[in-house]
Amino acid sequence: MNTTIPNLIDEVSDLLNIGVSEVFRTMLTLEAKPAAVLHDWHASGETLVAGSVGFIGDVNGVVYVHVTAGFARKLASRMLGLAEAELEGDEMVNDVIGELSNMIVGNVKSRLCDSGAPCVLTIPSIVRGQNFKIEPVHSCERRLLAFRCDADHIMVELLMKHST
Amino acid sequence: MALKILSVDDSRTIRLIVTRAFKAYDCIICEAANGEEGLAAAAREKPDLVILDVTMPVMDGVTMLGKLKDDPDLKAIPVIMLTAESSQENVLQISRLGVRDYLAKPFKEEQLLAKAGRVVPLVKKAA
Repeated sequence: MNTTIPNLIDEVSDLLNIGVSEVFRTMLTLEAKPAAVLHDWHASGETLVAGSVGFIGDVNGVVYVHVTAGFARKLASRMLGLAEAELEGDEMVNDVIGELSNMIVGNVKSRLCDSGAPCVLTIPSIVRGQNFKIEPVHSCERRLLAFRCDADHIMVELLMKHST
Repeated sequence: MALKILSVDDSRTIRLIVTRAFKAYDCIICEAANGEEGLAAAAREKPDLVILDVTMPVMDGVTMLGKLKDDPDLKAIPVIMLTAESSQENVLQISRLGVRDYLAKPFKEEQLLAKAGRVVPLVKKAA
């Protein structure tokens, strides 16, 4: 994949747009529609859950899928077919958000590999807390994508750098 | 006799979805959270089918598949890979190792049942 990073990050952003919609439609029967990025979404005071998965190889980056803790519980309940009261603490919710993030980034990774940019995925991890934001290091480019599922929001943050 | 299906995935979410998918069928679902546990469970349980993830800690699915196929006692167990990594190269690699089929995540339970039903005889539980 011979392309400059501004083009590449735009291509990966496009793949993420497709991936988010596809994963939410298939696994949750929910329409995640592209939306305007919310200002100060990370400083709302609400507890946020972010699933993070990286891709490493000819292209390197990391994707964070942020949702509110309340929406994360709704997603977990829907995906597992359990009532919210049946979800055991945060562990099952974290696992669902990690798996959704893994599927979204896995989709992107497969398309990158097929277009000549081999890379591997990292194991998903979860960040949970209030008023936090991801700050890219100097050598990274950042894109922020937003989606809506009815009244709930999904913020997807992409950080990318070139391989040396 | 109920079919024994081994679900190997580090995500509890996926293992729960796999269990739910086969709930209406005469199946016993065994679970393992990585390739190492999966190999031990395969040797212990002698499942009729393994549904195997690719990216897992401790031992990934491709390594587990290779070891399974190298073991004379286990190599005949059919394996369906359930993976978020469905690039052509990945699919070719697992095909060479003798996987029976693969299903890309995201997936619908009906797709998993259709794939499994082509490998083992799924029988609905009596009402």
